[in-house]
Amino acid sequence: MSHKVVVIDDDIWMAEQYVRTLKSDGFSAHHAPNAIDGLDLIDTIQPDAVVLDMFMPGPNGMVLLHELASHEDLSRIPVVVSTNNASDVPPEHIARYGVREVIDKTTMQPSDISRAVRRAL
Amino acid sequence: MEGAKTNRSGAMGGASMNVPLFVTAAHELKSPLALMRQLSLAIESGDCSPAEIARISHQITLTSERALRLTTDLTRTSRLEDSLFTLEPINPMSLCEEVIEEVRPLYWAKGRSIRLEKRARPLLALANKDLLRRILLNFADNALHYSAEDSPVIISAKAFGSGEHVRVGVRDYGPSLPTDLSSAHSLHSRPESSGLGVFIVNQFAQAMQSSVGTIRHRDGATFYVDLSASTQMRLL
Repeated sequence: MSHKVVVIDDDIWMAEQYVRTLKSDGFSAHHAPNAIDGLDLIDTIQPDAVVLDMFMPGPNGMVLLHELASHEDLSRIPVVVSTNNASDVPPEHIARYGVREVIDKTTMQPSDISRAVRRAL
Repeated sequence: MEGAKTNRSGAMGGASMNVPLFVTAAHELKSPLALMRQLSLAIESGDCSPAEIARISHQITLTSERALRLTTDLTRTSRLEDSLFTLEPINPMSLCEEVIEEVRPLYWAKGRSIRLEKRARPLLALANKDLLRRILLNFADNALHYSAEDSPVIISAKAFGSGEHVRVGVRDYGPSLPTDLSSAHSLHSRPESSGLGVFIVNQFAQAMQSSVGTIRHRDGATFYVDLSASTQMRLL
């Protein structure tokens, strides 16, 4: 059975590419355009990993990380952060929230998303 | 927009930004550039069907046009002090229709909709057509990003102040603006926004002696520009 991944990103075209790549690499990928819908999706499908954008309308990625950390079952889900501002997201600040890796959208290759998720699992 | 002056009427004030403009502009341009790069890499990968390539190419075109609008606005902003802007009587409803036509492909491609709220009585406002168009394009772009999928963005124009003024507003249904005026972001930029769009529309509005502001709703926001009504209207 394929691993389930939830992609949470307000840039729907970027998210489309992530989902396309993840599916092509054998994952079962789902998308939510904001943190609130993302949390609902995580609750519903109980993913094996989450790919999370940090800067989104409404509650941002940091809020979602706090929320995930506050639930014992959800806090165990590994998170890959994907952002245009990787240098503004110090790994040491978010490691305690289950963030395994920070991907820089401005330099990444399409296949990096699947590699990061595999490493996080 | 840190450092912006605010007042209780909701007018967006101040035009200075604490962060240097070029830093904010670079931050804003990262997003469309990173997206275009990913979309191009997707096409280069050879994994896309002809239909996917056509769709992704269209996304690249729309994203680049959006980024170009921003760079054009920034260039225009830097030249405002050296320019004189002619104010002329403008039918705001016609201009709103033009703006909607311009942004509709982007809205459509992102699964969103935008429409004009019709009105029976004609309006005539004093404005510089190009600057007003750019303000409304900024508002529409902002609304696209923050609106919910199933709620159309609505552009409207109305007279107020005993017919002395005209307000053109763009209403979105999305995350509410922050209530805490003392927070790092002012009332008028969204919590995760750099405030560059607010800065740009402030500059354009000031250049044509008008003002811009926001109305915070429980389920979204209206960004508006207030203009003087043309006296020609009273002669009709």
